[in-house]
Amino acid sequence: MLGRIFYNIIGKKRVLPREQIVAAAPEALLAGEKENGKEKRIFSGEFTRSVRIRQVDAGSCNACEWECTALTNPVYDIQRFGVDFVASPRHADILLVTGPVSVAMAGALKKTWLATPDPKIVIACGDCAKDGGVYKGSYAVTGGVDKVVPVDAFIPGCPPKPAEIAANIMQIVKVFSKIK
Amino acid sequence: MTGNEIYRDVTKEEFPQECSRLFNGGNGRLRTMFAADLRETGEGFCIYAVFSRAQEDRFEILRLKNIEGKDGAYSFPSITPAVPAAHWYERQIADMFGLVPSGHPDLHPLVLHGLYPPEVYPLRRDISPEAIGRQLALEKEDLSPFMEVKGEGIYEIPVGPVHAGIIEPGHFRFSAVGETIYYLDARLFYTHKGVEKLFERTGFRAGVRLAERVSGVSSFAHSAAYCMALERMSGTLLPARAAAIRTLLLEMERLYNHVGDIGNMCAGTGFAVGYAQGASLKERLMALNERLTGSRYLRGVNAPGGVLADPLDEPAGTLREIEDITKEYKSFISFLTDSVSHVERLENAGVLSRPVALSLGATGVAARASGLNDDIRTTHPHLYYNQLVFETHTRMKGDVFARMMLRADEVECSIAIIRSILHKAKGKRIEGSILSEWEAPANKSGQALGYVEGPRGSVFYFVKSAADGTPLRVKPRAASFCNWPLMPFAVHGNIVPDFPLINKSFNLSYSGSDA
Repeated sequence: MLGRIFYNIIGKKRVLPREQIVAAAPEALLAGEKENGKEKRIFSGEFTRSVRIRQVDAGSCNACEWECTALTNPVYDIQRFGVDFVASPRHADILLVTGPVSVAMAGALKKTWLATPDPKIVIACGDCAKDGGVYKGSYAVTGGVDKVVPVDAFIPGCPPKPAEIAANIMQIVKVFSKIK
Repeated sequence: MTGNEIYRDVTKEEFPQECSRLFNGGNGRLRTMFAADLRETGEGFCIYAVFSRAQEDRFEILRLKNIEGKDGAYSFPSITPAVPAAHWYERQIADMFGLVPSGHPDLHPLVLHGLYPPEVYPLRRDISPEAIGRQLALEKEDLSPFMEVKGEGIYEIPVGPVHAGIIEPGHFRFSAVGETIYYLDARLFYTHKGVEKLFERTGFRAGVRLAERVSGVSSFAHSAAYCMALERMSGTLLPARAAAIRTLLLEMERLYNHVGDIGNMCAGTGFAVGYAQGASLKERLMALNERLTGSRYLRGVNAPGGVLADPLDEPAGTLREIEDITKEYKSFISFLTDSVSHVERLENAGVLSRPVALSLGATGVAARASGLNDDIRTTHPHLYYNQLVFETHTRMKGDVFARMMLRADEVECSIAIIRSILHKAKGKRIEGSILSEWEAPANKSGQALGYVEGPRGSVFYFVKSAADGTPLRVKPRAASFCNWPLMPFAVHGNIVPDFPLINKSFNLSYSGSDA
């Protein structure tokens, strides 16, 4: 039993090194940095490394959720970077929203956003979270997270791979962090 | 049209009787049921009900056409009293088309929450998505009542739609006595994305991308069933190598889902080591998927007429990886079954009885763990399955443990199928092209069914083209749509803390069911 528990320590290392995760092409797009020549972002420099994420599925196909779940597996092990998922929006610094925001989820997403204390970062994760993706033009989707709550950054991909999500989250946190 | 689909028009009087005969006359299964707006072809609103039996490879498709309506209020005789499996289908038809099943015992909105105006029926052909969008009330809340259980000591626990874990949205209303669940009212369809309407706009070929995104973790099953329907509609013959590749990847999808599900059940019992091992095994399988096809979710492979990637290129390397994963999996599963504290939580939890599974039309793992021999890989052989020797596994008890062990059985079966196909490819016995020409039938309307056995159960697609070769109706039926209504029965009498475990043991897709 003990051998099992320490499998990852004494056995062959399976965890992906930090360099490989960071190399996963960080290409997060920061939204709304300048609007009409004015800084739109409400805050910067509020976080120091460790952040807590509340993931909200706003009508995604479930692929992005499983990639987020994979972040906590022994291969990516995102907790070692001071990032973890929490159960309540009240404990969260980041809202990681997936899905094109279905009409039925718009209200729930708004409430979750209101329940998250400031300062907070909203990340739209996945192509359909940006503008509706393949679901664009449907009567049942609002067409992007920014139609319902203000979005700070966007992670592309359908779905983005776990290493890409991890790398992007770390890069986004760096932008919003005191420690450069 | 291929041989095993038999279409038959029935009258309003015959419809419930015929459905009852096909469903109740020995091993009958309602495969899918849907409506179509064929007013432009002069057939009015039609209801299709697709039945099949385990013992013969034949689909009986009953059609009730020209549904009568007075002052725009259309109704048809409900078959739910005779065919309980139809109850969600009929509610869906009522929501999406405004065709009322008269005599339905529990008719209230299923798909469309209170945000949609009552007189808007999204799947009617004469209303555009934009017109529906203009009438939506985004800031409103769905205040329709839940099933209320009255009595001393009964209290309600509302959960969702935003859950504590990283899972999909749905609202669960428990009526509990102390810790014991007396009744569960599940309100789903929060992830309803209007996919069926979108299919009509995208066109057949581009619809593959959409089919892959009906349910993320069954991407390949959905696109394979959709492409199969398109190929049968136009009479395209699938090349043997493409059929083998689809079979291989369907089993790869089953493999990563089942291994992941077995690991996730450990999260339901708080068994962290088992969960971590299951998650890393699943990660290995996902990485293998990516190496074989370029996508962890096997997306972008299927196309009407064949496949776009050839994972049978280097079978030797894949075989070595599969052997290695099998070794690790075997030690993982024996570790789980040796853990008494884990197994004790699973046994006798969330029992789904065989009669309930049968009458409500369960499919896939949920059906087979309750003793139903429901596997369209063996009952309706397609793709490469008729050239392989394997059996359908069943378990009799219907509890969480039965569902876990059934998955374990099926993992071994999938591994055997994968190895068999790879060995054949290694011996150069599966050759030829992987893609044949596909065209939508021109100048005549066509229709066909497509089906595969996905990780959660059978996936069905019905496609019908208009005379100009554009989609007139595309109806996906995900496995989870059949299995969600079972949940209240499986959790009845269990304690609330066991709900996540029972839910994980079914591991249904919200997005697939909500579509």
